[in-house]
Amino acid sequence: MFRKILIANRGEIALRIIWACRELGIRTVAVHSTADSDSLHVKFADEEVCIGPPHNKDSYLNVSAVISAAEITGAEAIHPGYGFLAESAHFAEVTRECGLTFIGPDPDVIRKMGEKAQARRTMQVAGVPILPGSDGLVADTDAARAVADEIGYPVLIKAAAGGGGRGMRVVEREADLESAMGSARAEAGSSFGVADVYLEKFLANPRHVEFQVLGDTHGNLVHLFERECSIQRRHQKLVEESPSTALDDALRGRMADAALVAAKAVNYVNAGTIEFLLSGDEFFFIEMNTRIQVEHPVTEMVTGLDLIKEQIRIAAGEPISFTQQDIVSRGHAIECRINAEDPDTHVPCPGRIHAFHLPGGPGVRVDTACYAEAVVPPYYDSMIAKVIAHGNTRGEAILRMRRALESFVVEGIKTNVPLQQRIVADEDFVRGRISTGFLDRFRPPAKKAIATTGS
Amino acid sequence: MDHKDLRELIDLISKSNFATFELEREGFRLKLVKNEAASGSQGVAPRLEPAAPAAPKAPDAAAGAGDAAPAGNGLVDVASPIVGTFYEAPSPDAAPFVTVGAAVRKGQVLCIVEAMKLMNEIESEIDAEVVEILASNGQPVEFGEILFKLRPA
Repeated sequence: MFRKILIANRGEIALRIIWACRELGIRTVAVHSTADSDSLHVKFADEEVCIGPPHNKDSYLNVSAVISAAEITGAEAIHPGYGFLAESAHFAEVTRECGLTFIGPDPDVIRKMGEKAQARRTMQVAGVPILPGSDGLVADTDAARAVADEIGYPVLIKAAAGGGGRGMRVVEREADLESAMGSARAEAGSSFGVADVYLEKFLANPRHVEFQVLGDTHGNLVHLFERECSIQRRHQKLVEESPSTALDDALRGRMADAALVAAKAVNYVNAGTIEFLLSGDEFFFIEMNTRIQVEHPVTEMVTGLDLIKEQIRIAAGEPISFTQQDIVSRGHAIECRINAEDPDTHVPCPGRIHAFHLPGGPGVRVDTACYAEAVVPPYYDSMIAKVIAHGNTRGEAILRMRRALESFVVEGIKTNVPLQQRIVADEDFVRGRISTGFLDRFRPPAKKAIATTGS
Repeated sequence: MDHKDLRELIDLISKSNFATFELEREGFRLKLVKNEAASGSQGVAPRLEPAAPAAPKAPDAAAGAGDAAPAGNGLVDVASPIVGTFYEAPSPDAAPFVTVGAAVRKGQVLCIVEAMKLMNEIESEIDAEVVEILASNGQPVEFGEILFKLRPA
């Protein structure tokens, strides 16, 4: 087992990894930019190293600075968290070349699944259902038109090197294809450095259902059930839950089998997630995420298992500490992401937090690195906390989430707590009538206040 | 009032004929007193930039919030631009690049910070005299860590 791990990340996930290390008796090294010198992950880590000025490319994305920090502190392994360098095959390779363990899958698996068009092909060969679409990249409008004619409109142009909803364009009809190709390629190029795009059939209002998997170096591969993440704004997840109200046991079984086939196809090691789109009872592979995800607490709450500790154990060469039969899902968990933004306009709202009171009580978990008088810097993404509610039933989980959101006090900055409150109060949400089109219905509230207590 | 505003205000008052200046707003109070006898400036020293050499009539600034780290006595800080290991000499058996009291020219190498097996030479940005060496040979240093204090020539 490692004696010292460096966490190549910040914010709540860095803190989350520190907690797992504490429980495993592993010493921790936090790296931070100058903007994060007073961050909680820096305060709670055993050692800290300032690696650069605020901007990502000079600090959290600076491979040599991160590796150098590991070298001077004697860290044996690096946990990349999510985002930043978590899915950089190059970073994983450099980590290994420098004699350190990268806590995640093999660099070539990261690379293979990171190129989305290639990932589709790998899954197709393995027999995992994929959406109708192009066979690899589409180089120009003519190639795109040929594919679109075959699969039928509407189609979705997607960045091959991408994620997070950028470099994506929905095309309803042929007349829009040329300009959509131009802007998708431009956005892909500027966001990911590579303008390559591919095409998929666009499903109207599907449900996003993903499966958590864990693989180890002893040939074990398990799934930890699903998370439904349909409530998204511009392809950014806002609310996640498990189990999905769309799945009965039969469908769950078929999707879990497909997820394991997908992971087995690349001999997957460590934590990963297979993302599917669900339309009726048909499901299609869209992406594999080769890292721990933001919404992992949802799975932890229903299974009672610690995914980060498993990641560390797997990276240290140990087998997964449970079998598929041991994994049982109990009750229902919902997570709401709390962002520092205006709840109506979604404009980010960095600044100093003055009052900060977290909800607690039965079935409530909060993952956050914020505290009273902390400064939310403008350089990084706006998520400041995750509130997770667990109940014996979905109804209880919803009630607990409502009272948790009501008692979550943040003053000094704006947050999307009011929007989350509206979502979990919404009748369609309560009835499980959700899809990726759910949030389109939400518009800024009328001047008349919605009845809430507190905040 | 943010950092930039505060510096502008201090600058404005120091150039004026006022001996004392007080400002009070909600949650914030500032008092500036010109101290003719002070030989250096005391003010907020940003961690990443060389501390500016003092003008003789610089005011003492007592800001309402936060602690000032005095740059003191007109010295310039040389901060490490990278994470790595500090080496005072080009190789283990060679003489150090500089010693205390040495005169350095702009562009002259002060030390090496090694990162990932690459030896990065850290150069002086000014003509100066080395007043203090804060890092020791083989010591790990982080981004922004002060390595030298120089007195501008």
